[in-house]
Amino acid sequence: MNALLEIKGLQVRMGEQTILDGVSLHVPTGGIVTVLGSNGVGKTTLMRAVSGVYRSTAGSIHFDGSDISRWPSHRIVAAGLAQAPEGRQIFSSMTVAENLRIGAVGLSPDEQAEEQEKQLARFPILRARYRQQAGTLSGGEQQMLCIARALMCRPKLLLMDEPSLGLAPKVVRAIFDLISLIRTEGHSVLLVEQNARAALRVADYAYVMDGGRIAIEGSSTELANDARVRAAYLGGHAS
Amino acid sequence: MFDIFFVQQLVNGLSVGFIYALMAIGFTLIFGVLNVVNFAHGEIYMIGAYAGWLSITIFAPPLFVVILIALAIGALAGFSLERIAFRPFRRFRDEASLKSKAMREATLLSSLAISIIVREVAEKIFGSNMQTIPQDYLLLTPIEIGPLSFASGQFLIFGLSIVMLGGLQWLLKRTRVGLAIRAVANNPMGATYVGINTERTIIATFVIGSTLGATAGLVVGLYQGAIFPAMGFAPGIKAFVAMVMGGLSSIGGAVVCALILGVAEAVTTSFFAQGWGDLVAYVFLIITLIFFPTGLFGGGRERV
Repeated sequence: MNALLEIKGLQVRMGEQTILDGVSLHVPTGGIVTVLGSNGVGKTTLMRAVSGVYRSTAGSIHFDGSDISRWPSHRIVAAGLAQAPEGRQIFSSMTVAENLRIGAVGLSPDEQAEEQEKQLARFPILRARYRQQAGTLSGGEQQMLCIARALMCRPKLLLMDEPSLGLAPKVVRAIFDLISLIRTEGHSVLLVEQNARAALRVADYAYVMDGGRIAIEGSSTELANDARVRAAYLGGHAS
Repeated sequence: MFDIFFVQQLVNGLSVGFIYALMAIGFTLIFGVLNVVNFAHGEIYMIGAYAGWLSITIFAPPLFVVILIALAIGALAGFSLERIAFRPFRRFRDEASLKSKAMREATLLSSLAISIIVREVAEKIFGSNMQTIPQDYLLLTPIEIGPLSFASGQFLIFGLSIVMLGGLQWLLKRTRVGLAIRAVANNPMGATYVGINTERTIIATFVIGSTLGATAGLVVGLYQGAIFPAMGFAPGIKAFVAMVMGGLSSIGGAVVCALILGVAEAVTTSFFAQGWGDLVAYVFLIITLIFFPTGLFGGGRERV
């Protein structure tokens, strides 16, 4: 199995609390993998640990052949692992153009211009708002900026943490369409979502987290038909 | 018709204001990135002046070399200051602890400690007396424009300040390190996610801020000819007031307020006795804190 991201027995402790307790998962090259689960089970902690924002206390994170679990976050991004984080974390007092420019880590000016053109073609609204302060954008526009900013460094793997949170249904659909599209451009995706139905539709493989561990895993179709998943996350009746 | 004396005071005030502005930027940059006040900034100013004075007395280079030496020493001092007084307290990297109250108080005291140590060491080595700049370097050549009379040092202050402020704008808007500084100031968490090296950005902020502060000290030394270990205290307070008036993290606001402060002081001293000049800054500070708690240019965004 050709795994781009391979997490084994990952543990994150904060003071007395164990937030992640032995999480193992992997993302194959070219795959879309989703992590489901309700609030507070450790999904965002997992994403932060992978991006090097939090330090893991045990376990390993292998990305593209190297153990990145001790790397600082800027080195992880430079290696091709970008994240569109929870809460978008855009630079609100800076312009859309500057936000994109900051995202372009390790690109020559020519590559940067080319990549930016690609993102602006993908998100025409960002072109319209190009010189505007990012804080003045609507929620959906900020989410698009956040994704575009992460894609600016041409990542091999894109982590997305709750991209659909708080957005209008139409925008949510656009974002999930985009996730499928990103894969065809050669980016693999690890997606954390509350919207389990939509996430299972775009993903190949899914993990369900509970209490800092992986509770259930399987292919998306398996999980979509799993009685426990249906009852807990899809709002359907166990059949 | 304006009283010519008034115009003269206005120009004098502006040149003092530019000095405050150069210093206030150092405060503002560091406050923006780390949310802390660097109490050793006045000593950076003093170090800049001493670096200039030492290079003049030892090997008497041309003026622009003196400036370059002071810039380099200022940058080095900023780097060391960050290493000694700020870095050791930054053990956690998430936003909550990066800008936490404990962090603010710890670095407030550590930078104050460094400031006292540096000042005392300077006094031990050079004595607390004023050092005088040799006549050749003293920028007091009078330049007459109509009925107005300026010192050449004032032109150096204007020229150097405008070049440095312009350079800073260019740096912050056009270069990668400048973008990183603004990004960390705006959203430190977001900055880690996009792969900005926060540690390096913080060092860059200290180096840039201290370079500006050391330059301010040098030109004042050359212009007023008075270099002594505690020289950074008064302008440090004034620059701090300008930063608060400007809204803590607004560079433009700090510069404008520093100029207002300089002019207000000059005008005050021309109507009252010299000693009243220092009162202006404190009155401005109190008025700002009571009526404009977010600063005159703070945009209504409280950051403390």
